[in-house]
Amino acid sequence: MDELNRAARSRRKRSSGMKQSETTSSSAAVAVEGRKRGKWGYIWPLWTTLLLHLLAILLFTAGFLLTRTELPYHSHCSDVSSSPCFSSNNGSCWTKPAVNRLVLVVLDALRFDFVVPSTFFADSKPWMDKLPVLKNAASTRPLSARIFKAIADPPTTSLQRLKGLTTGGLPTFVDVGNSFGAPAIVEDNFINQLVQNGKKVVMMGDDTWTQLFPHHFERSYPYPSFNVKDLHTVDNGCIDHLLPSLYEEDWDVLIAHFLGVDHAGHIFGVDSTPMIEKLEQYNTILERVIEVLENQSGPGSSHENTLLVVMGDHGQTLNGDHGGGSAEEVETALFAMSFKKPLSSVPAEYDSSSCQQDLDGKNVCFSSMQQLDFAVTISALLGIPFPYGSIGNINPELYALGADSWNSDASQKLLESDAWMQNYANALCINSWQVKRYVDAYSASSAVGFSREDLSRIASIYDQAENHWSHSTKKLLLDRQHDSNTSVSALKKQIDAYFKFLTAVTELARSKWTEFDLNMMGIGIGIMLISLIFQVFTVLRTTKEHDGTFSSSEDSWIVNGSILAIFLLGIRAFSFLSNSYILEEGKVANFLLSTSGIVTLRQSVSKGKLLIESIGFLILSTFCRFAIEVGLSKQAATSAFMKDYSSWIINIASGLPVWDYAAEVVPIVVLIMLAAWLYKATSGCFFGWPWKYVILGTILTYMLIIAHWITDSNRFDGALIPQSIGRTYIPRIIYAIALGQLFFLTFGQLFKKSNLDCKTNLVAKTTSMLSAWSSTVILLSGKQGPIVAFASIVGGCFIMKFVNIEGGKDGPRSFSIMQWSLFATCLFFCSGHWCAFDGLRYGAAFIGFEEFVLVRQAILLTIDTFGFSIILPVFGLPFLVAIKNQANLGRHFVFTQLSQMYTTYGLITAITTTFTILCVTIQRRHLMVWGLFAPKFVFDVFNLILTDAFICLASIYYFDQGRDDPERKSQVAE
Amino acid sequence: MDRRKSSGKTTASRASTVEAPPSISVSEAFIVNALCVLGLAFAFWAANTVFSIDLVSHPSLTLFLISIAELPIVILLYSRYRQNPRQCSYLRAVGRGVLGVPVGALLNFLGAIALGAPVKFQYLPKTINWALMMSVFTTVPASCVLGSSWAEWRRIFAQTKPNGSIEYLICLPAHGAVIGAWFGAWPMPLDWERPWQEWPISVSYGTIVGYLVALVASLGFVLACFRSLHIKSE
Repeated sequence: MDELNRAARSRRKRSSGMKQSETTSSSAAVAVEGRKRGKWGYIWPLWTTLLLHLLAILLFTAGFLLTRTELPYHSHCSDVSSSPCFSSNNGSCWTKPAVNRLVLVVLDALRFDFVVPSTFFADSKPWMDKLPVLKNAASTRPLSARIFKAIADPPTTSLQRLKGLTTGGLPTFVDVGNSFGAPAIVEDNFINQLVQNGKKVVMMGDDTWTQLFPHHFERSYPYPSFNVKDLHTVDNGCIDHLLPSLYEEDWDVLIAHFLGVDHAGHIFGVDSTPMIEKLEQYNTILERVIEVLENQSGPGSSHENTLLVVMGDHGQTLNGDHGGGSAEEVETALFAMSFKKPLSSVPAEYDSSSCQQDLDGKNVCFSSMQQLDFAVTISALLGIPFPYGSIGNINPELYALGADSWNSDASQKLLESDAWMQNYANALCINSWQVKRYVDAYSASSAVGFSREDLSRIASIYDQAENHWSHSTKKLLLDRQHDSNTSVSALKKQIDAYFKFLTAVTELARSKWTEFDLNMMGIGIGIMLISLIFQVFTVLRTTKEHDGTFSSSEDSWIVNGSILAIFLLGIRAFSFLSNSYILEEGKVANFLLSTSGIVTLRQSVSKGKLLIESIGFLILSTFCRFAIEVGLSKQAATSAFMKDYSSWIINIASGLPVWDYAAEVVPIVVLIMLAAWLYKATSGCFFGWPWKYVILGTILTYMLIIAHWITDSNRFDGALIPQSIGRTYIPRIIYAIALGQLFFLTFGQLFKKSNLDCKTNLVAKTTSMLSAWSSTVILLSGKQGPIVAFASIVGGCFIMKFVNIEGGKDGPRSFSIMQWSLFATCLFFCSGHWCAFDGLRYGAAFIGFEEFVLVRQAILLTIDTFGFSIILPVFGLPFLVAIKNQANLGRHFVFTQLSQMYTTYGLITAITTTFTILCVTIQRRHLMVWGLFAPKFVFDVFNLILTDAFICLASIYYFDQGRDDPERKSQVAE
Repeated sequence: MDRRKSSGKTTASRASTVEAPPSISVSEAFIVNALCVLGLAFAFWAANTVFSIDLVSHPSLTLFLISIAELPIVILLYSRYRQNPRQCSYLRAVGRGVLGVPVGALLNFLGAIALGAPVKFQYLPKTINWALMMSVFTTVPASCVLGSSWAEWRRIFAQTKPNGSIEYLICLPAHGAVIGAWFGAWPMPLDWERPWQEWPISVSYGTIVGYLVALVASLGFVLACFRSLHIKSE
C-alpha cells in the first residue's frame, strides 16, 4: 500500500511538473537556453571524447605494439667489394667457408637444463641429464664440441623464433610488409642466401618451415604441427628421413625440426613421463646421428667437413608455456660439433665458458651466446653473404669450431691463435660493415626509424672502429713481417672496437623492437582514465540537467536498473583480465545478454506488461547463443577462411541437399521480408520526401542483392544476367547507391524544412539512415546478412519497447543502453566474427572487386566486420529516445536525452576497452600476449575509435535543427 | 536468473481470498531450515558412502539423489504452512508441490539453455537432473504454500516483496539458489582443466552454496519479522 501511495504521489508530482514546465516562464527560459546552445552545445563532449581517446590510444600503441619495417633488400656476393675489408680471394663469397655441410637439428622448446648436467643447478630434477650424449661429446672433445646457453628474444613462439633465427633480426608483433595472410618470410635470410649461392637444403619435420620458406627446399618432408596432442607424428617423420638422408650426397644443409618436447610440455608439463620418454628418444637418435657423421668424417668422406648443430628455438616454463620473456622461456641450448680435429683454441679473452663437473666426474663446459648471432655466425662458417637485415655479431666460440681450415692458407710463420684472430677480425669487419649498411638503409626507408641521436652515436662508434681498421690494422695484416706481439695487441684493439659497435646496435635494436615503452603506455592509460572521468562527468551533468528541468523522483527501478547495468558492465570488463574469458567472449556476452533478458522478464512480470516481448527477447538471445557457438567452433579450426561465403549458415548446411537449397532460398526470402517491412514503414505519414526516396532506394538495392546472389550461385544456372555483371557490377551499383543515399541524407536535410515535430523527424531520419547503411552491410555479410539483420531489427524493437516498461517519461536509462550494447556485441559474434586476425572475413573485401587496393578493401572489410556491431547500433540509438508513448517534449529535452545516451554508449565501450588495455599491460609478458591479447587489443581499440567516430558523425547528422519546433514555439508563446 | 521465470509461467491466475499468511514461529522456521540442510547432508552422505559416488564423478546420479532426498522433506514440511489451510487440505498442498516439480524443472531447464548450457545429447540427463534439483529449491516450496495464485507468485518472485515470515522462507532460498547458480557458471570457461568445471558441477555447487547461505539469511529475516510483530502487538 505504502508503495502504491508513493508511486501515485510521484506520478502526480511529475505531471504537475510537466504542466508547470509547459506553462510557466521558467520553461520558456529553458527553451531559449536550448536554442542558444545550438548544435555544438550538445555535441562538443562527444568530439572531445573522440580526441582524448585517439590521443590515449596513439600513445599507448606506440609504447606497446612494437613495429618494424621489413626491408626487401638482399645481400649479394659482390657487395663486399664496397666494404673496407678483405674479401677472400679464391672465388668464395664474403668469408672463407669453414664448413661445407651443416646438419641442423632443431628440438622445439628445448630447455637449457635438458642439456647441461644437473650439477649446474641447485637441485637435480627428473627431467635433467636425459640427453647425456651432448654433454659427453662436449666433455670428451672440448675443442670441437661446445654447449651454448642460447638466449632467445621474445616473443618466444616458434614462428617468430624461426624468423629470428634465419634472418638474424628481431621479429616483432607487427612486421610491416607482411603479405596479406601468408606468413612467408620476405626479408633476407640465411636459407635464402643458401639457395642463392647454389647450396641445396633439405628439410624434415615441423611444417612451419615450409610455410616460411615455400620455394626454398630441395626436398622437404613437412608434417603438420597443428595438433598439440599428437606427440609423435612429426618426430617419427623426422626419424624416418633423418638417418637415411645423412648418407645421401644431394644436400649441403639438412634441417630436422622435432616437435615432441614442445607438445609434451603443452599437454603434460615438463615434469612428466612423456617428456622424459621424449628426451630419451632424442638421446638415442642424436647418438646415432653423431655416430653416422663420425664414421664418415675421414678425409675424402662425405662428412669430412660437416658441422652438427643441435638447438632449441626457445625454452619453456615448467607448465610447458612459452611466448613471453621469462628466463625459462628465453634460455635454450645450442650444441655445435665439428668432426675435424681442431687445431686451435679460442683466445682466453673471447672464451666465456664456465665449467662444472658432472655426476660422472667429467668436466663439462658451456658458454653463452645470443640466438640473434646464430644467422650471421652460420653464414660466416658456410661462407655465404650475411642476411641483409641481420644485426647479430659473429660469435667467437662458435666461429672457432671451423678454425682449422684457415691455417692451410695463412703463412706458416703465424701462430694458430694469430691466424684465428686475423680471420676473426676480418670477419667482424665485414659483419660491422653489413650491420651499418642495414641500419642506414632501415632508417632511410622506415617511417618509424631510429632517433637521430642514436644514429649519430652509432655512426661515430663505427667511424672510430673503421679508422682504426684502415689506418693501422689493414696495413698490419697486409704486411706480415711484424712481430706477433704488436699485431696481436692491435688486432685485439680492433676486435674490441667492432664489438663495441655491434653491441651498441644490438642494444638499440632491442630497445626499439623488443622492449615495451612503459612510460608511453602509462601516459596512454592515464589519458584514457581522464577521458573516462570526463565522460562520467558529462553523463552525470546531463542527467542532473534534465532531472532539474523535470523534477522526476528517483524511482526504485531506475536505481536498480543503473546498478544492474553497472554490475553487468563491470563483470564484462573484468572478464577481459583472463585469457579464458577473452577466448569465450561471445559466450560471455551472450550470457550477460540473457541475464539482462531475464531481468527484463522479471520486470515485465512485475509490471504486468510486455510479457510476450520479453519472452521473445530471451528466445532471440537463445538463438544468438547457438549462432555464436557455431562461430566459435569454426574458430577452433580455421582452415578455409579465404573462401568467399565462410558464414555459419553454409557451415550448417553441409550435407543434405534440402539444407543446401534452404541455405540458398531462406536468405532471399528474409531479404524480401525486410524490403516489404521497409515499404510498409514508408507508408507511415511522417516520412517526408528525402526520407521516402532513400528508403525506396534501399528496397531497390535489396532487389539488386538478390539478383547478385542468384547470379553468383551455380544453382540457378540459366539466369538472365551474365555472371560477370552479376558478380562485379551489381555490388558496385549497390555501393554507389548507398553512397548516394548518404549524400542525399546529409545534404537533403539542409534544404528541407521540416514541418514535423522533432521526435517524429528523428524517427524518420534514423530509419532512413539505417536503411541507407543496411544494404551495404547485408551485401558484405553474405547470405547470413539478412537473417542477422532481421534478428537485429527484432532485438532492437524489443529493447525499444522495454524502455517503456516503466512508463515514466524519464529517458531510457543506462540499463537499456547496456542491453543495446550487449546485443551489439552478440551480433558481432553472431555474424561469424571473433577477435583475431583470422576471424576477419577477407572474402568480404573482394565482393565486387577483383584486384586489391589497400584503402578500398580495408573500408569494405571494416564495414563487414563492424557493420552489425557498430554502424547500425550507433545510428539506431535515437530510437531509444524517439519511440516512447508520451507527448512531444520539445527539442531541448529530446536532444539532451540523445546526447546523454550517446555519451553513455560511448562510456560503456570506453570502459571495456580501458580494461582490455589494462589487461594487455598487466599480461604483457604472458604466454599468449601475441596470440590472444594483442589481437583482442587491436580489435577493441579499433572498436572504440570507430564507435567514437560514428557517434560524432551521428551527432552531426541528428542534432541538426537550429530552430525549435513550431508546435513548441506556439506553446511558449501562449 | 531463473527466478523470474519460475514466477512467470505458472499458469492460471486465480484470485483467492487471502487470509493473513500463516505465521511461523522462529523455532519452527529454524527446524524447517535445519531439516532442509540435514536432507542435503543426508543426500551427500548417502551418495558418498552407500553408492560411493560424488558430484564430480557422477554428476547426474548425485543430483538425482539430492533431488530425491530433498523433495519429500521440502514438500511435507512446506505443505504444513499452506495458505488458506481451511479451504485447502494438507494432501492437496502436497499434490500441488508434486505438480510444481515438472513445471519448475521445465522453467529452469529453459533458463539454463538460454544462458548457454550445453545442448549436446550427452549433457541432457545432467541438465534435466540439475533442473529437477533447482525446482526442488525454487518452485516446489512456493507451489506448496502459494498454490497457483498468480498474484502471490508475482509479488514474491517478480517484485520480491515477501510478506510475513513463511514467505521469507520461500523467497530467499529460491533467490539464493538461482543467484548462486548464476555465479557458479563463471568458473566454467577458465582453462584450469579441473573436472569440476564441467557443466553442471560448478553450477550445482554454486546453487547449493547460494541455497545454504540464503537459508541462514532467511532465518535472520524471520527473526526480524517476529520482532517487529511483537513490537506492533505491544
